[in-house]
Amino acid sequence: MGTQNVPSPLEPIPSSVVQFAAADKLINIGRVNSFWPLTFGIACCAIEMMATGCARFDMSRFGAEVFRPSPRQSDVMIVAGTITKKMMPGIKVLYDQMPEPKWVIALGNCAISGGPFVFDGQYSIVLGADTFLPVDIYIPGCPPRPEALLEGILQLENKVSGWNRWKDPEKVEKA
Amino acid sequence: MSGPIHIRPDETFTLNVGPQHPATHGVLRVKMEMDGEYIVKAETVLGYIHRMHELMGENRTYPQVLPNLSRLDYLGALGYTHGHVLAVERAAGIEVPERAEYIRAITVELNRIASHLFWFGAFVMDLGGFTPLMYAIEDREYILDMLEAVTGSRLTYCYYRFGGLYNDVDDDFIAAAKAFIPRMRKSLKKYDALVTGNIIFRKRLEDIGPISAEMCRKYGATGPVARGAGIDFDVRKNEPYSVYPEFDFDVPVYHECDSLARYKVRMDEMEQSLRIVEQGLEKLPDGPIMPKKAPKLIKPPAGDYYQAVETARGSFGIRIVSDGTKNAYRFKLRSPTYSNMSLFDEACEGMMIMDALAMMGSLDLVIPEIDR
Amino acid sequence: MIKDTVKQALRDLFPEPEPVVEAPAVEAAEGEEEKKPAKKKEGPRVNGVIERNHAEHGYDIDVQCDPGELLAVVMILDKAGFFLESITGVDWIKENQLESVYDFSRYDFDTCRVVIRTRTSRSEPKIPTISKIYPGAGWHERETHDFFGIKFDGHPHLVPLLLPEDADFHPLLKDFKP
Repeated sequence: MGTQNVPSPLEPIPSSVVQFAAADKLINIGRVNSFWPLTFGIACCAIEMMATGCARFDMSRFGAEVFRPSPRQSDVMIVAGTITKKMMPGIKVLYDQMPEPKWVIALGNCAISGGPFVFDGQYSIVLGADTFLPVDIYIPGCPPRPEALLEGILQLENKVSGWNRWKDPEKVEKA
Repeated sequence: MSGPIHIRPDETFTLNVGPQHPATHGVLRVKMEMDGEYIVKAETVLGYIHRMHELMGENRTYPQVLPNLSRLDYLGALGYTHGHVLAVERAAGIEVPERAEYIRAITVELNRIASHLFWFGAFVMDLGGFTPLMYAIEDREYILDMLEAVTGSRLTYCYYRFGGLYNDVDDDFIAAAKAFIPRMRKSLKKYDALVTGNIIFRKRLEDIGPISAEMCRKYGATGPVARGAGIDFDVRKNEPYSVYPEFDFDVPVYHECDSLARYKVRMDEMEQSLRIVEQGLEKLPDGPIMPKKAPKLIKPPAGDYYQAVETARGSFGIRIVSDGTKNAYRFKLRSPTYSNMSLFDEACEGMMIMDALAMMGSLDLVIPEIDR
Repeated sequence: MIKDTVKQALRDLFPEPEPVVEAPAVEAAEGEEEKKPAKKKEGPRVNGVIERNHAEHGYDIDVQCDPGELLAVVMILDKAGFFLESITGVDWIKENQLESVYDFSRYDFDTCRVVIRTRTSRSEPKIPTISKIYPGAGWHERETHDFFGIKFDGHPHLVPLLLPEDADFHPLLKDFKP
C-alpha cells in the first residue's frame, strides 16, 4: 500500500472558507427580521403601538411583536409619546442600558418635535427625542396609523441591512 | 385574607414600580416600601407626562383648545370633548340642535365601549392572560372603523364643535352600527365564558383590593370604582345633560367593593351602552347639525361655569372662569382618575404586591389624565 | 331637600350680611338687571351664601368665606354627606389676591353642588388644609400649591406633585414666565 500523500500542516487555510462580510450580511438579515422592541409607551401613541402588535395589523409578520419589558433584552426603543423633562433622565438610562446594536424610532409628533404641546409658556416638555437620543426613524402623525408604524419598521430594516422586502415602488416606476 | 406576615419588620426595602413598566397604564411611578412581599407604605409620584393642558386653555381661544382635550384621556376621547363643548355652550349660551345631540350621545357611547374593551384586554394581560387582549382589540377595531369614517381619526377625535358637529353621519355609519350591536353582544358572552368564569381569574380578584363606600366619599372617587362599592352614582342619571333623559338604560351597581365587582360593573356597562346606541339609532331625528346662528367668536360672559359628564372612568368636570375675553381666564379640568388614584396609597397598605397591581388595574388608570 | 338644609346651615355661619338670591335671567326685572353690573363694579363680593341657577352656572350653592371659617363650612358639608370633587385656585392679579375654589357634590339623587371660595393675599398666601376631614384633599392641595404657591397650613406632605421635585416656580400665576 505505501504511504499516502498527506498535505503539509503548514499550508495556509484557503481564504474561501471563512467570509466575514457574508456572515455580517446574514446576521443583519437575522437582526432585521427579529427586532425586539422595548415596551415603552408613554402616551397616546402607545395605544397605536399596541394596536399594531395585535391581530389586525400584526407586527409579528415582520418578527417584531416580542415586546420585552427589560431594556437588556431589547434592541429597538420605540419612543411613543411626549417626553417631559422629568421623564428624560429615565429614558436616557433605559437607552444606556440597552445592549448594542440598538436603534431608536421616534413615533408620533411629540417624539419628533414636541407635537401639539408646544406653546408660549410650555415649561415642561422636551422638544423631541432627538435632542438627547440618536433617532434613526421618524414617524409623523398624531397619532400615526398602525400602517405608518409598520412602514417605519420596514424602513428601519432597510436602513440596517440595505435589504428590501419588495421593490421600492418609486424606483420601479422611474425605470 | 390574613394580614401581612412580618418576617423582619425592621428590614424593609424600597421597590420602585417605575415609570417604565410593562403594564399599559402609562408613566406612573409608585415607590413602595416592602416587607418581603407585603407593602408597608406606598407613595405615588406623578408628573412624568405633565404637559400642562390647563395653561394651554388660558393661552388659546376656546376653539383652539378643542383638539387638546382628546389627548387627556385618549381611550375615551369623545367623552372629554363632549364635556368641553357642553361647558362652553353653557357659558356662552349656545343652543344645540337635537340631531347633533343624538349623534353625540351615540358616538360617546361607542367610544365608551371601545375604552372598556381596551381596559378589559389590558387588565387581563396585567394578571397574566394575553389572549383576551387580542379579542378585545379586534372588537375595538370595528368601532374605530365606524368612528374613523365619520370623524377622520382613530384615537384622538376632534369631532364636536361648539353648537353641534362638523360632519354628519351617513347611512353607512348607521348600517355598520346596527350590524355591530349583535356582534358585540355575542362577544360579551364569549368574554363571560372565557374570563369571568375562569377560576384563576376569580381567585385573583375576589376580595382583593377592598375600597369601601366611605373611602370613596372621602377621596371623591366616582365612576366604576364607586359603583363597585355600592354607590349608585352616574352623572348621566344624577345630573342629566344632553339627551340622556330620553334613553332607557340601567346603571350597574355591585356591593362587594372588591376588584371583581369593579370588573363586573364595567362589563355590564358595555351592555348598557349598547342599549343606548340601539335606542339612539332608532330615535335619531332629522335636522341640521349646527345651529343657524352659531357664533363666530366665542366670548362667554364673565363668571364661572361648571359642567360634569360621565366618562368611562368617572365624573369628568370642567370649570371655566371667564372674564369676557376670547381666552379663558382659568380652565380647570377635574379628571376622575386623579381622585380614583389618590386612594391607592392608603388602600394598598398591608397588601401583597401582586394584589396591589390587580387593584391598580381594576381602577382603570390613564396617566396623562392624572398629570394633565 | 338637602339643598335647603345645607343652605340654612351655611347661612347660620354668616349671620350679618343679607343673603342675596340671584334671580334667573328670564324673570329678572329690567331695573334689577341694570343694577347688577353696577353692583359688580362697586366692590368685591362679601362673604355669604348665594344660590345659583344650575342650568346657567352648573352648580347650586356658592359660598364665600374667610380662610379662618373654611373648616367650619367644610364640616357642615361632611356631616351632610358630600364628597370632595376638586380643589383649585384662581389668580386674581388685578385685585392682588389668590382664590381657592372647592367643589363638593353628592352621590344620591338629591343633587346639590356646592362651591366654596376663599381669598387670600397674593404675597403671603396661606389657607388651612381640609385634609384632616377629607383625605382626598391631600393631592388636590399639593397641586394647587404647585400651580399657585398657596401654602396649606397643616398639610402632612406639601411637596410638588406634578412639577419636578425641585421646582420653585408656579405656572398658573398670571405673571409666570418660563
